[in-house]
Amino acid sequence: MKKSVIIFVVAALVLFAAVLWMLSSSGDFKTNELGSFVIIFLLVVFAVFIGFKRLSSARRGEPAEDELSKKVMQKTASLSYYISIYLWLIIGYFSERLDYETHTLIGAGIIGMAITFAVCWLIVNFRGIKNE
Amino acid sequence: MNNRIKEYRAKYNLTQEELARKVNVRRETIVFLEKNKYNPSLKLAFDIARVFNSKIEEIFLFD
Repeated sequence: MKKSVIIFVVAALVLFAAVLWMLSSSGDFKTNELGSFVIIFLLVVFAVFIGFKRLSSARRGEPAEDELSKKVMQKTASLSYYISIYLWLIIGYFSERLDYETHTLIGAGIIGMAITFAVCWLIVNFRGIKNE
Repeated sequence: MNNRIKEYRAKYNLTQEELARKVNVRRETIVFLEKNKYNPSLKLAFDIARVFNSKIEEIFLFD
């Protein structure tokens, strides 16, 4: 229950910060910035979905977290960490060649990590964990 | 590893939700087990076997 509340609070903070960023740069909101906002919004939706899943389990009298959900999270975290290392390597390689500012690249890396985590979670959930 | 949870659940007239509550896991875990997408821990296997008054090897089958 406590963890579900934390998920909702973090999701609300991220959405609030993204809306604030959008409003502060309302004059010249470029296409790639709009793309970043849409990705952030989708990630917030993903976090809210996980939060609701946990809450609905708790409401049914089931534990919010059990051995399967813990294993899914562990596998997702290890897989996304492994992929993120390569993501940062690619960003580091292209940072010299592309004309982007450092904070833009760091932002892209963080959003990339979040997308990687969400995609890995979907894959692990779809495929299941056989431990074989 | 295969299992006969669905068969035993029908025999004991239990829903996935009821079985989940009895063994203290989420309903999703029972769904994954029945679809053979997850191999349970030894504790969960024992708990499920206990609910069905059976031995583990009667419910969980090695290929």
